Amino acid sequence: MSSGGRFRALRALLSDPMGALGLGLVLLFVVMALFAPWVAPADPIKLNVAEKFQPPSLAHLAGTDQLGRDLLSRIVYGARTALAIALTAVGLAGVGGLILGMIAGFGPRWLDAVLVLLFDSMSSLPMIMFALAVITIVGPGTGTLILVVVLVSIPAYARLIRAQTLALSGADFIVAERAMGASSARILFRHLLPNVVGPLLILLSMDVPVVIMLEAGLSYLNLGVRPPTPSWGNILYDGYTSIRAAPHMVVIAGLPLVLSTLGFTFLGEGLRDALDPRLRRRVAG
Amino acid sequence: MTALLSVRDLAVDLPLGRWFGGGARALNILAGVTMDLQPGRTLGLVGESGSGKTTLARAILGLQPVSGGTLRFDGAELRRSADFRAIRRRTALMFQDATASLSPRMTVGEAVTEPFVIHGIRIASRRGKAAELLAEVGLPAEMAARYPHELSGGQARRVGVARALALKPSLVIADEPTAGLDVSVQAEILNLMADLKDRHGLSYLVITHNLALVRHVADRIAVLYLGRLVETGPTRAIFAGPGHPYTRSLIAAEPKPDPRQRRTDLAIRGEIPGILRRPPGCEFHTRCPVARDICRSAAPALHDLGPGHSVRCHFPETTSKGG
Repeated sequence: MSSGGRFRALRALLSDPMGALGLGLVLLFVVMALFAPWVAPADPIKLNVAEKFQPPSLAHLAGTDQLGRDLLSRIVYGARTALAIALTAVGLAGVGGLILGMIAGFGPRWLDAVLVLLFDSMSSLPMIMFALAVITIVGPGTGTLILVVVLVSIPAYARLIRAQTLALSGADFIVAERAMGASSARILFRHLLPNVVGPLLILLSMDVPVVIMLEAGLSYLNLGVRPPTPSWGNILYDGYTSIRAAPHMVVIAGLPLVLSTLGFTFLGEGLRDALDPRLRRRVAG
Repeated sequence: MTALLSVRDLAVDLPLGRWFGGGARALNILAGVTMDLQPGRTLGLVGESGSGKTTLARAILGLQPVSGGTLRFDGAELRRSADFRAIRRRTALMFQDATASLSPRMTVGEAVTEPFVIHGIRIASRRGKAAELLAEVGLPAEMAARYPHELSGGQARRVGVARALALKPSLVIADEPTAGLDVSVQAEILNLMADLKDRHGLSYLVITHNLALVRHVADRIAVLYLGRLVETGPTRAIFAGPGHPYTRSLIAAEPKPDPRQRRTDLAIRGEIPGILRRPPGCEFHTRCPVARDICRSAAPALHDLGPGHSVRCHFPETTSKGG
């Protein structure tokens, strides 16, 4: 019964034009990232200074940068960097937030108080300042980036999950479970988890572009991914420094950022509608 | 005969201001509740909103911590949570809001067979069992694939009954079993409950504010006012000669087909006082039509009015003359 339910959710997602568009864009970037060596027309870090600053042409569909590297290939490999970091970080933060949030919402009161204090103090720090502080201490790099994102995002996810858990714990159907004799483990995993995970998935999907932007931003500042590894952020920076010589670079480097942000946001909103069984009937018809 | 359910001096307090206000203040939600339910019988628990009916139901099932008194189920005392867990297979709770008591992500079929899964009872086929349970409450087997939000109020109520009766419990606590239903559907549900009671030898604790309902289904009645039982007795005796002014007012307030039989002199005025401002003396004196000075200062004791019929009032005799 539950696999049929999931299939129905997918159909509902596809019947929503925005959701379908979001899913399409996300899949496009995922394919780009997974199959980068086959999708990319050239080596993204191979220099060819003789052909620098070339505008888009048949040989280089998106032109070349200041060192003559193929821009399209760098964008494709940049998708790999962006998605690897964003999905890993958001995924880890989501799991962490889910566990901590359910502990806070379902566990003893004193533990809840301690955790909420922790969440509040964490989220009172501005994200980029916190990122800069951690990078200063640990040193820049992919691992640091993921660490920063996980630490910064957990409180928001945990707070969402805690609120959901608390609200549901008093709900009649949970009290009914307890009255029937269900164990705490069964109530947690069979009844609370499926009801809190939906909103979390939506939030996670909408946070992926935030992390992609953070990665790009820090890489732009040379505090993220180390060159010559391609990142949309350092491509954008290269474009900015040579905006007079080759204005196409900035536009082309900005495009994937815009499209991936839109894609993940549409997908998140589509998921929100498709996963809610009360809305499902209306959408699926 | 030992009572199936025996409640003695049950009290439920909610502490107020645990962190900063000091632990001294507490809300008395229920105090001194004493009642018995014999096997195979129906006890009607009557009271207004805020009188503590639902809290009492949850306390009996161990879903609400109690602060005093004793609970016995089939002779065995219920103290620790393990005691309550041990009787979960033999008790069931039907909720006032049947739709909300079903998990929104579980189909009806999953919901009604949930008790078997919880208690690790092997059933040949979940689908077959679901169809069997649904048939027992008069629902078609196709209903098993539906989600709770796709059910009507009456259907959700039937599903609630099917789930409550899945394990053939000895005690079913029904919280407002007819709330929010059309009169015709109310009758269907009541007949269904009576039918299943005869077939499986159940005992019901029916919680309601609806006197017509308890008159119809209950063998005995307990009237709750502000967390205290003010009158208990056999249904017939209470309707024939209510001893407590509150009970008399409730019965007088029942709609009567003949307007000449309606009485307004017994009408109670105002709202039930907030539980935060529990009146001293007799709780009911603020709204009692026959209150005297002693009612404002001293809490009344229980008086026997007949076999198994007792009332908590200073002037049960004088007041009963008016009825």
